[in-house]
Amino acid sequence: MSQEISGDLENTRCPEIIKILSLGKRTGRLALNYGEDGGSIFFQEGKIIHAKCGPIEGPKAIYEMAVWSAGTYRFFVDDVPDISTVDLSIDEIQAETENRIRQMDRISSLIPSAHVVFSLDPDIKEKEISLKSIQWRMLSKVDGTRTISDIAQGIGLTDSDAMKVFYTLLKMGVIKEVERSHGRKSKTALRLPDTPFIGELKNGLLGAIGPIAPFIIAETAKEMGFDLLADNVEQRAALIETIHSKITDETMAMNFLNAMTNWLRAEG
Amino acid sequence: MKGTIKDLLNITGVQGYIIASGKNLQIKVPSRPNLSGIKERLMELYRELIEEDKRPGNTIEIYMDDAIITIFLSGTVMLMVVSHRTTNMALLRMTGKLVAANIMKER
Repeated sequence: MSQEISGDLENTRCPEIIKILSLGKRTGRLALNYGEDGGSIFFQEGKIIHAKCGPIEGPKAIYEMAVWSAGTYRFFVDDVPDISTVDLSIDEIQAETENRIRQMDRISSLIPSAHVVFSLDPDIKEKEISLKSIQWRMLSKVDGTRTISDIAQGIGLTDSDAMKVFYTLLKMGVIKEVERSHGRKSKTALRLPDTPFIGELKNGLLGAIGPIAPFIIAETAKEMGFDLLADNVEQRAALIETIHSKITDETMAMNFLNAMTNWLRAEG
Repeated sequence: MKGTIKDLLNITGVQGYIIASGKNLQIKVPSRPNLSGIKERLMELYRELIEEDKRPGNTIEIYMDDAIITIFLSGTVMLMVVSHRTTNMALLRMTGKLVAANIMKER
């Protein structure tokens, strides 16, 4: 089997490629690129033996790349490394990558990329806040100019791990978003969680307002503090209602409302 | 477009409705809160609300001790829904808007 394996991560995510290469018992290097970042996963007869993503090596590097939702991949046959840093079965790796993707979907609903800049929020609602040491280390670097990625690099964390910490800080209400970094090319197109509800919402809204639909969904969910993965009919109805109020064309707005009301009644 | 009174009544907690259009008033409400004896006041409310320049939006919610009255306005139609306080209000508002728009369209 010598046919070339390459493509876009937008269509095929890393775990699927790993599965294909594993089932095919392939030997070689899977190179992945995502914006300015890149990394490689090395296979020996279908088993992953080494992975590298920037300065990170081993399983962590795989998990970092597994959540990439845009970029490219290419498999180089028989390109094998001198070292081995991964000693996990494909099943173990797949289980963890799926877990990471689910987590990242949740995080992405509030923090779309590691290039977001935060500042401290002076309007703290809680009377007392307790922080873990990693949260404090991150928080102490928040200055309204550095992106999550910049802070992660300074501390030696991966972007996805840093986004997780920022997600918890954002939920606590101690930070607020300042602006998205325009200096760099955005790493991702906006990625919404892949659930039947979000799919229906996106399709309904695309028909009403066109390609900005995903951004409106993400923005509205953020304004409302709504978790896009939450399985709550009341919250879903509130989100639909708010999005509906943003559609200026009355007929389109009613069509959207009608479609989503029917969906809510049928699927909840 | 769907969105019928039946859909509205299927929402858990919805107890009844009142439709006002022109000079007609259709009342289907439970005994509490007692609204059936205040036809004149309801018509007065309708006449006041139907003039767009006298109100800021198309949906009004009145919170009572044991019920919520939600009023939807579409053209010359006023739909008033009586529901329990535990009702999914967002779903009620979504459906109510559709029903009011449909009634208006049919007239």
